[in-house]
Amino acid sequence: MIVGKMKPFDEILSSVKRFKNILIVGCGSCVSVCLTGGDREAKALARELSNPELFDQSAPTLRVETFQRQCERDLVKEYLKIHPDTDAILSLACGAGVQTLSAVFEKLPVIPALNTSFLGALDEPGTWREKCVGCGDCVLTSTGGICPIARCAKRILNGPCGGSSKGKCEINPDLDCAWQLIIDRLKVLGRIDEYEKIMPLKDWSADRGRGPRLSQKAANEPFD
Amino acid sequence: MSFFQVNENCNGCLACVQNCPASALDYKDQGNRRKILHNMSLCARCGNCWRVCPQKAVQFHHLLSGQWQEVATMELMRCVVCGEALYTTEFGDKLAARLERSIDPLCPAHRKSQPLKVWGKIFASPSPENKEVTQ
Repeated sequence: MIVGKMKPFDEILSSVKRFKNILIVGCGSCVSVCLTGGDREAKALARELSNPELFDQSAPTLRVETFQRQCERDLVKEYLKIHPDTDAILSLACGAGVQTLSAVFEKLPVIPALNTSFLGALDEPGTWREKCVGCGDCVLTSTGGICPIARCAKRILNGPCGGSSKGKCEINPDLDCAWQLIIDRLKVLGRIDEYEKIMPLKDWSADRGRGPRLSQKAANEPFD
Repeated sequence: MSFFQVNENCNGCLACVQNCPASALDYKDQGNRRKILHNMSLCARCGNCWRVCPQKAVQFHHLLSGQWQEVATMELMRCVVCGEALYTTEFGDKLAARLERSIDPLCPAHRKSQPLKVWGKIFASPSPENKEVTQ
């Protein structure tokens, strides 16, 4: 899932300071689950921003809505009703959600309250770790289900490098060496012979070097 | 039946309610009763309720593979020859209106290959040939 982190409060405050009627929109999907952009966080942010001492004059009017999926343009257009006085939207969605709101409410500034961080998974309660960079050319088949692109600091395809020591990465003693994990996993799978194969050059053209990527599927047109 | 179900171990401690990131769980204390409430439309099905429950009371499998719920029932048109389900009466009417002609309730196979037999089936007494088609 998409993991986001709340921006520093001062940054959010300086982004919204000039507005008088702000709609704070939480997102009910990924960022709710990673405890950064859901209904609770939207309400908590509204409480923090409602302090009049933070503003030169009075605090802005703050409304809070949480939308299940901010990244569904037609749903947002149809169902996210906003007060006519609204002069800015503060979105707690990922970058895709923020841009969807921008596209729908084209006359309103849409301000991100989160930094979209990575595609990750919950490893233990409260800890999400990056697992995927969306490179567009998945190598997990030959790496025992552990991604060296997302989880090795050097993104190397034929590791480990010389900085691997006792299963840890040289950049951080708390960080597992992805290649050590891969080797251990291939052993468990009885496929350590896979490790001996030199991995060919990866097709980086599927990464985002050619600009934003596109995925198209035949979709049914509405009947009417 | 709710998709969110708890077993008899639930003691109403509210750990699930307090830790639901999507605010999909709530509770009501009325008189001498405590009710735990779940809102499926808010639920992100992240499993946090199941994860934090100290009583192991949350039966999360209902949220992963719940029962189908009937949402609508309507009249169905079937192929007059073989009985294959085609479309609903309302859909057929809409299609006929768009095509500006009536449409015969026939499956693709019988519409293409055996129009004469079909008419025979509809308007004449059953012949051995038509019987074969029906089977």
